[in-house]
Amino acid sequence: MMIAPLSKHPGEGDVIVRFDRIRKSFGDKTILDGVSFDVRKGEVFFVIGGSGVGKSVTIKHLVGLLRPDAGDVWFDGVEVSRLTEEEFFPVRKRVAMVFQYATLFDSMNCLENIALPLEKHRGLSRGAALVEAQRLLERVHLGRYGERFPGELGDGMKKRVAIARALTLNPEVILFDEPTTSLDPVSARRVDTLIRELSDTLGVTAIVVSHDLTSIFGIADRIVMLYRGGVRAVGDRAHFRETKDEVVRQFVGGFADGPMEFG
Amino acid sequence: MGFLMALSSRLPYRVWGDLRGFVASLGGGVLLQAATVGQMGVLLSRIAARSTPARLDRRELVRHMEFMAIESLPIVGVTALFTGAIVIIQAAPVVQRFGAEGLLGWGAGFGVLREIGPLLTALMISGRVGANNTADLGTMVVTEQVDGLRALAIDPIAYLIVPRFFALIATLALMTIFSDVLALVGAALAGEVLVGLTMHGFYNGFTSGLIEFKDVAHGLIKSVAFGFIVALSSCHFGLATTGGAPGVGRSVKASVVASATGIFALDYFLSFVVP
Repeated sequence: MMIAPLSKHPGEGDVIVRFDRIRKSFGDKTILDGVSFDVRKGEVFFVIGGSGVGKSVTIKHLVGLLRPDAGDVWFDGVEVSRLTEEEFFPVRKRVAMVFQYATLFDSMNCLENIALPLEKHRGLSRGAALVEAQRLLERVHLGRYGERFPGELGDGMKKRVAIARALTLNPEVILFDEPTTSLDPVSARRVDTLIRELSDTLGVTAIVVSHDLTSIFGIADRIVMLYRGGVRAVGDRAHFRETKDEVVRQFVGGFADGPMEFG
Repeated sequence: MGFLMALSSRLPYRVWGDLRGFVASLGGGVLLQAATVGQMGVLLSRIAARSTPARLDRRELVRHMEFMAIESLPIVGVTALFTGAIVIIQAAPVVQRFGAEGLLGWGAGFGVLREIGPLLTALMISGRVGANNTADLGTMVVTEQVDGLRALAIDPIAYLIVPRFFALIATLALMTIFSDVLALVGAALAGEVLVGLTMHGFYNGFTSGLIEFKDVAHGLIKSVAFGFIVALSSCHFGLATTGGAPGVGRSVKASVVASATGIFALDYFLSFVVP
């Protein structure tokens, strides 16, 4: 298991996640071709880019749902991309993931969905796990919906339940895969607020895959833009607002015409 | 090699192309089946590695057993009752011609316990529970619920597969006993109505000493083996689902076909091997 020194930048915090020259292909289609960037402890970090550029693919490498063809993925100073499935379990307890479609278990109600990892990993009894699940549900402002099944909830509510479930193991990093996609604007801003709160109050590092410009310019500390298999730009919101790069300007401006290539 | 070259030079180009295509598709099919068998072997080894008492999720096991058994009771019961009656309907003309009504209890018992009970129950469970299991797992795969479990550091094989695997085997064995009893009841009722054989006469024939414990054991061993096939097949095809909702449909079809084929093939061999 390789150990990397944490790079420290004065006033910028420690690096907790590093993607280092990641390459990933599916069949003969190369999605990522040398993607490298760092994420610092406690920040809200957005991964942006056009559809199919490999944003979700990139973050799934951090929890071992995908393995790179080449390159390294570092978490808290440890290279994790070559861990076995079982060796990944400790990493997954520290890095939670909220999927694009929430992935709540249909056969369980909201409380049971949240209680499951509490029973499995924190050794809580069924009753104690349900009490803790209720507390977490209230944290995401859904305390009244514990007995509801996922099929009875709207998309925004499902995502907030999924966030509550992600919080069960007190993770240091939470990966959000398009958390505001398909949500109405009010629900989307509620999710944004929740992500920002988690970072500000609990010090959780949030890595958010998104192309929701309101979210990006509303809550991001830093942003990376992926384009044509690589990193096009990294920086804070101001950097992205003021950039002279025409591709980045087209994307963050939401312009139909410009130099961006798709597909 | 020389033969093939000589053949290719004599055959018209189109026929040679068709022949090559046929051989290629045959070879592809064989490789695909071999890959499926290999993947099932890998899944089985993973299940075995997680089947220790300490790792078995008993609550999930009981939950699945309740669900599978209760869901299957009506269809297995109705099928068994009619099957027992059909045995008597088919046998009645011959039995009456030879005046051998006393053998009906033995004949129905022998056929039901050794063959018809386990086989029909397995096919019913395969179509009802196995298909449902594949659809359930397949849906969980395509909606990323299985990845969701992995992301929560919960082993999907230990949590999802192992309890279903053992629940399905146990359910099929229990349902076979239930089916055997109801098939015999159906046979006894049909015997009384169609042949005029009393319940007591049917019972005497059944317990005349021609049916032994090994006949009951034969059927139960088969039911466990069939349960193993249905459980492995339904779990494998569920986990191997790709391609969204149409993929779930394809997986269910493949699972039911593989289960039925496996059940009949295994039945043939076990009928030789098990006394």
